[in-house]
Amino acid sequence: MTPFISIQSVTKIFQKGQSLIKPLEDLSLDVPQGEFLSLMGPSGSGKTTLLNLIAGIDRPNSGKIIIDKREVSGLSRAELTRWRARHVGYIFQLYHLVPILSAYENVELPLLLGKLGKAERQERILAALDLVGLADRADHRPAELSGGQEQRVAIARAIVHDPGLLVADEPTGDLDRESADGILKLLGSLADDHGKTIVMVTHDPRAAAAAHRSLHLEKGRFVESPTGHSVSASPSR
Amino acid sequence: MLPFTYALRNLFRDPARLFQTVGGSAVVVLLMMAAVALDDGMDRVLAASGSPRNVILLGKGSEESVERSEVSLEVEAAAGAIPGVASVLGVEAISGEITYQAPIRTASGHESQALMRGVLERALLVHTTVALREGSFPGPDEVMVGHLAHRKLGVSADELGVGQLLYFGDSETRISGIFEAPGTVLESEIWFDRNNLASLSQRDSLSSVTLRLDEGKTDEAELFAFQRNDLELSAIREDRYYEKLGLFYEPIKVMTWVTAALVAAGALFGGLNTLYAAFASRIKEMATLQSIGYTRLALLASLVQESLLATLTGTLVAFVTGYFLLDGRTVPFSIGTFTLILTPSVIAWGLVTGLLLGSVGALPPAIRCLLPSLPKALRSD
Repeated sequence: MTPFISIQSVTKIFQKGQSLIKPLEDLSLDVPQGEFLSLMGPSGSGKTTLLNLIAGIDRPNSGKIIIDKREVSGLSRAELTRWRARHVGYIFQLYHLVPILSAYENVELPLLLGKLGKAERQERILAALDLVGLADRADHRPAELSGGQEQRVAIARAIVHDPGLLVADEPTGDLDRESADGILKLLGSLADDHGKTIVMVTHDPRAAAAAHRSLHLEKGRFVESPTGHSVSASPSR
Repeated sequence: MLPFTYALRNLFRDPARLFQTVGGSAVVVLLMMAAVALDDGMDRVLAASGSPRNVILLGKGSEESVERSEVSLEVEAAAGAIPGVASVLGVEAISGEITYQAPIRTASGHESQALMRGVLERALLVHTTVALREGSFPGPDEVMVGHLAHRKLGVSADELGVGQLLYFGDSETRISGIFEAPGTVLESEIWFDRNNLASLSQRDSLSSVTLRLDEGKTDEAELFAFQRNDLELSAIREDRYYEKLGLFYEPIKVMTWVTAALVAAGALFGGLNTLYAAFASRIKEMATLQSIGYTRLALLASLVQESLLATLTGTLVAFVTGYFLLDGRTVPFSIGTFTLILTPSVIAWGLVTGLLLGSVGALPPAIRCLLPSLPKALRSD
């Protein structure tokens, strides 16, 4: 079966002053559709770089990234922007909600890029807010919400346009345990019940344990996890 | 495209910054409008002051300034021989005049430089825009004043009312009338009886002789000046005389523009700095919107939209301020006064300035905000 995400011998190089840094070197990874994958590793291991490559935020120097049968590593910046708008939902550690917009308006942002009418947009926004349990907070601005609620709004924003891929960068990193558990449960249900493929970067072993599979990165390569989690770059399911 | 409300609400994120941007753009637009209004006002008054049917006979070599010119008294009589001189009820439209600048003192003791013209009653046949508004034409020891002369002298209108006294050296003169000559420099002058002014200024010659000619006959006056070499005259059409005078004021106009540009540049850089700060604080937000799928162009459009909203609000403030501060204000200059008017062209310049400030002015800070790579921008603080 063709994997939903196929990363083939990807290398990413950054130039810092005179020296070259390789956060990822000759990395390969397959992720099937509907898998909830966590990426762990110390700071500078390359996990956020990998997440950005998968999300189409950045492009590799070499290698291929194929997502849902489309090679995205060769897309131009503008093509990547259009691709992200349709196929990716990004969840950030610090939520990144627009403070001057209400929860409803924040969730509406991805839909404004499409051609949906107002009524259809409203239906989708309310459904997304309902799914994350915040239908009654639609008119609230981010400053009027708790951290957990803000992250739920961010998740609603990430799923409202029904992307196949969700990427999450430390989505529970700024939350208390109770809120974090709620978010992880929500992400799990998005993978299990809605077929979303989720790639999550985390430092938290508890969060990693909520995923179907966890991979450990060090110096740009997958290594044996110190906690004994699976290190296989191929899916076990 | 991002919704318009996004740009609108962004304006109110930081009221102090909004105030700075609106205030800065209002200053720039107001200055631009003032400079254009000054330019227009001066051009308008000079253009209105000269008639294409009038010719001024000046002393040879004094074409640049009627005040320095000397013409003998016989020229007035000799000019009657010029074909095509207009006449009203048998009186030829020929006016020998003395033009003189000297300090004059009002009853309150205020002394300032005045523009004086010594004329006979037939001057009204030449200067056809002049009409008595109040009182009568001056006799001996009397003057009539243009209704804007008080602006030139820097006194209140009441001090130059009919019946008030003016002092020229030790001589006392009474104001017999007030005249108007809409939109011309004449409105700032003080008109004396010619013989009276000749005696007060100790002149035995005229400054100029102005003739009104029939349509298409102005060349005859030039021919006369050429043929009567003995009178040492130059002839210049009145409208061209004021046109040339306008060139004399070009440096002043340039200085006005330079001053306006310098102050505007200060306000502009202040405004740019404010926009830099406003946009720089939103680099991460812009990156988030890009990660959602908004293109840089869409974000740039939204930032420009936001900036335009602020500068156009400033432009509106400038229009209202200009209406109260500039519109109708008379500005004295060396040969008279002119009025600042918020004409459609002044408004258009203000509007274009506001639009340019908002669009072009927003580009550098907006581009700087959108330039960092997406991964880097997402990590920014």
